[in-house]
Amino acid sequence: MNALIPEYILYIAFAFLMLAMIITLIRLLKGPSINDQIAAMDLISSIIIGLILVYSVLISNAMYFDIPVILALVSFIGTIAVSTYISQKNG
Amino acid sequence: MDKLIISILILLGSFFVLISAIGLLRFKDLYGRLHATTKATSFGILLLLIGVSLYFNEVHVYIKALLIIIFIYLTAPLAAHSIVKSILPKNKKLTADSAKDTQEKK
Repeated sequence: MNALIPEYILYIAFAFLMLAMIITLIRLLKGPSINDQIAAMDLISSIIIGLILVYSVLISNAMYFDIPVILALVSFIGTIAVSTYISQKNG
Repeated sequence: MDKLIISILILLGSFFVLISAIGLLRFKDLYGRLHATTKATSFGILLLLIGVSLYFNEVHVYIKALLIIIFIYLTAPLAAHSIVKSILPKNKKLTADSAKDTQEKK
């Protein structure tokens, strides 16, 4: 299709994602337990996937599509590793 | 017309991610927060991926988008389950609003 998207649409999407990032960072800083912080970390990786997707539309380069594949894999492994470590530490 | 569809998909996807972040901030206990972050984030990323792959319209982009969608929908419930299972025993109680439903059944 390669229709040119108007740039302000992409900037509005960037604004939504950055607002989500700021709100998640607030939860990451003040989260009462460490489990809330792990959930916030999981959400941050998803927000970064969204940012990379919108940025690849902005510069219209399909090469950037490899990064979300790897990021989805690595963020899942990181979340599983940290939560398994905590559950084994608590016995 | 294509522009309109792609723009709506991208805006809706980022809006759903924002909704899940607001849910992470506003819910009172861990179960509610995971309820917000797991489902709404998966749906938002799904909408974003459909929009971006319609924009590029190439075969390898569609294959990679399908891979990401399958992987996110497989692993997001597993990650939430693992986080809930790692919770400390002293934090296991629900807030008053969440506990109301299960207590009324008994």
